[in-house]
Amino acid sequence: MKGNKLAPKNLPVAELRQLLTAVSDHGTQHLHEVEADLNQTAFLLTGAIEKLGESFMAIHAAVNHQQDEIDTLLIEAEVPEASYQKILLLRKQIADEVNAAVTGLQFQDMTSQLIERVIKRIDGLRESLIALSVHGEDMNPDHEHQEIVKLLAEMSAGLHLRNDALKGGLRKSVQQHDMRSGDVELF
Amino acid sequence: MAKTILAVDDSGSLRQMVAFSLKAAGYEVVSAVDGQDGLNKAKEKTVDLVLTDQNMPIMDGLTMITNLRSLASYQKVPILMLTTESSDEMKAKGKAAGANGWLVKPFDPKRLIEVVQKVIG
Repeated sequence: MKGNKLAPKNLPVAELRQLLTAVSDHGTQHLHEVEADLNQTAFLLTGAIEKLGESFMAIHAAVNHQQDEIDTLLIEAEVPEASYQKILLLRKQIADEVNAAVTGLQFQDMTSQLIERVIKRIDGLRESLIALSVHGEDMNPDHEHQEIVKLLAEMSAGLHLRNDALKGGLRKSVQQHDMRSGDVELF
Repeated sequence: MAKTILAVDDSGSLRQMVAFSLKAAGYEVVSAVDGQDGLNKAKEKTVDLVLTDQNMPIMDGLTMITNLRSLASYQKVPILMLTTESSDEMKAKGKAAGANGWLVKPFDPKRLIEVVQKVIG
């Protein structure tokens, strides 16, 4: 053997195949768990926003009824000016909080888009790992050195292609990092 | 008579919050779950304003706007985008498709109503 070149029969092809299969299997298994957790998170967030939305609507309707009753009382009864002003102030405070809640209740629209993007990335990564394993199975200890080099080069090129395709299909549509309301622009 | 707004979004919670905000300000709201549904509902009844998301299954917001603008009844109806998208590139595409404005999510109800009132009164 000269330099670091290995004679074909000394190439550790079996070990290489084993490594590729292990990377693929373990990676796929972990990705499966990540995907399951993300789907569970998305499910919980969807359930949470539905309940929050229903409760918000019910609270808002009840507060409106309460305010109507207070209005009737204000007309019918003698209410000290200080109390009247306090009621008006509380009414404005409730309106401000309702606005803030409407903005806050939009979180699930953004989190679901982000989770969807992560799941697409996981799918792409899983496909790459499966491709690694499939290419690995193509390797044979009887292969000539050049054949192994060619297979490895094909694997590498395939991974690059998959990576590029994945990047192209994963444009980020959510740049928000907080729940502050967004910009408005009229054309 | 109350003006009618078509609100298109694939997110149920967003549709709920948009409808809540607009109805509280006295507008009638027709909701649609994606661009195709929005297009169908727009054809059923010509509305006074369209408020649409961009990223939706089946048909996205920009495609729906392009389709709406090809209809005689929607040549001059104001269309506003309400989306998580905030890039200048996407805004330019929206403008080219025929959108009249761009609101980035999450929206503030007070600000939304101000904009709607400015556009359709």
